Amino acid sequence: MNDIIIAAEGLSKSYDGKPALRSLRLEVPRGSICGFLGRNGAGKTTTLKLLLGMLRRDAGSIRLFGQPVDSEASSIAARRRLGFVSEDKELYPFMTVDQTIRFTRPFFPGWRRDLEEKYLELFQLPRKKAVPKLSKGMRTQLMLLLAMARGAELLLMDEPTGGLDPAMTEDVLQILADLAASDGTTIFFSSHQLAEVEQICDRVCIIDQGQVVVDGVLDDLKSDYRRILLVFDGTPPPGLAGLPGIDHLRQRGRTASLLAHGDVEGLVDRARELGPSSVEVRPVTLKELFLDHVRGE
Amino acid sequence: MLWYKAWLETRWRFVFMLGSVLLVWLAPQWLPSLGFRLPPGVPASRLWMAIHLGSVLLYIVAANFLAGSGVNSQTTYAATSGFHGSMLFTLSLPVSRRRLLLVRAGLGALQTGVLVAIMAVYTLFHLPGGASTFQALEYIARAIICTIAVYALSVLLACVLDEMWQFYAACSCWIAFYLLQSRFAFVSWISPLRGMSLFSYPVTAPMPWAPVAASLALAGVFLCASVLVLQRKEY
Repeated sequence: MNDIIIAAEGLSKSYDGKPALRSLRLEVPRGSICGFLGRNGAGKTTTLKLLLGMLRRDAGSIRLFGQPVDSEASSIAARRRLGFVSEDKELYPFMTVDQTIRFTRPFFPGWRRDLEEKYLELFQLPRKKAVPKLSKGMRTQLMLLLAMARGAELLLMDEPTGGLDPAMTEDVLQILADLAASDGTTIFFSSHQLAEVEQICDRVCIIDQGQVVVDGVLDDLKSDYRRILLVFDGTPPPGLAGLPGIDHLRQRGRTASLLAHGDVEGLVDRARELGPSSVEVRPVTLKELFLDHVRGE
Repeated sequence: MLWYKAWLETRWRFVFMLGSVLLVWLAPQWLPSLGFRLPPGVPASRLWMAIHLGSVLLYIVAANFLAGSGVNSQTTYAATSGFHGSMLFTLSLPVSRRRLLLVRAGLGALQTGVLVAIMAVYTLFHLPGGASTFQALEYIARAIICTIAVYALSVLLACVLDEMWQFYAACSCWIAFYLLQSRFAFVSWISPLRGMSLFSYPVTAPMPWAPVAASLALAGVFLCASVLVLQRKEY
């Protein structure tokens, strides 16, 4: 059994000569919940579409469930084992809830009627209601049901909680966490809601301008990265930027804020040599990590 | 289950077209009640000719109205611009694009064929002078085959354009084809549009093999091109 469910290497994609993904590298282990973060246009949806075979890559390779995805046949085999929730949550306008479920069910031999019933009840989805008459929240719920009841080993989700109220968002996050814990389902989802990601993800992948800038286990990232705040009597010395091991440096007035990981203690020792009046080292939040990397602050 | 989706997608369109066919069928009954009467001295066969021409137009409209690629979802009646988001759900299913296309195109072709057959039966039933069973079957077969060429072009256009533009583009193509056939004898000789009509090839004449063969060839080419386009298209 392969322990890496999603493996992408050197993945590149351009639209009309404009690069959307630039040699992207991605690894998502089995059973993990991986949050895929990035600004609008960073390449998140493009990555998901490449994984699903909706787009053709310019370069690179994709392996899903340990198998290379390099043809339509291999893509179909992979899609049989995964569920997908798209960003706009649109389903067939000419079907009812029940017809949509009846249509989807036969494509997936592992379809679980117990989960279908459970989520229909939990989400209070009326079977006979036409899809266009569902609210956006209900369409999201129906899409989640279709993705989760198929007994998928991998769920690919583009903003899965979009359109849900806070209470339902909480329920859905709990369901996703339970799926990963009880069935070993791997979940890879893009989101702008950092709090959601922090709540249920054990891994985080931050993408910016088509490249992965941070990738790892969330707890490791939080313990690895540190914010170092240096206050100087005057303007921070120019040598600060040359210190090794700094991920990002931000200067405002007499204060310099460094984001660093790895040998933070060594970095602090070298920073002290520059004569700051005070040095403060503190842990970082996911939001800080995200903003520092995508905004380069 | 793709047939199930295709049926739910097209059933009201099919019913709508069936209603249109019935409207034409019953034209001799409802036209006089609206005050439309043939002027004195004009033979009754003129009304039949008008209905027949209308039915040929109906073949083309039905073919365009019922065609789809199986990827972009269609609304119940109206041709809409843009692509519906459910397309991504369809593409995430473990099904090849070729199968998506062939099932959807197959069902649409069947519906189109049924409508054409119904119209053709009516046309023949009211044909001045009548037709033998063999002649009737011959005409129904060639009307269906020639309409399928029109249908297959619409399927190809549905693979590259949204529904609104597909409809306009298909109509434009056949208007252009009609103009070409009136200028060039060869185009006219093989024209599917002429193959659909009883005027160009009187029912008593031998089977017009050229438009039938050309229609079959065009339908095949359009369908193969549709599969290739869909397989290469990015969404």
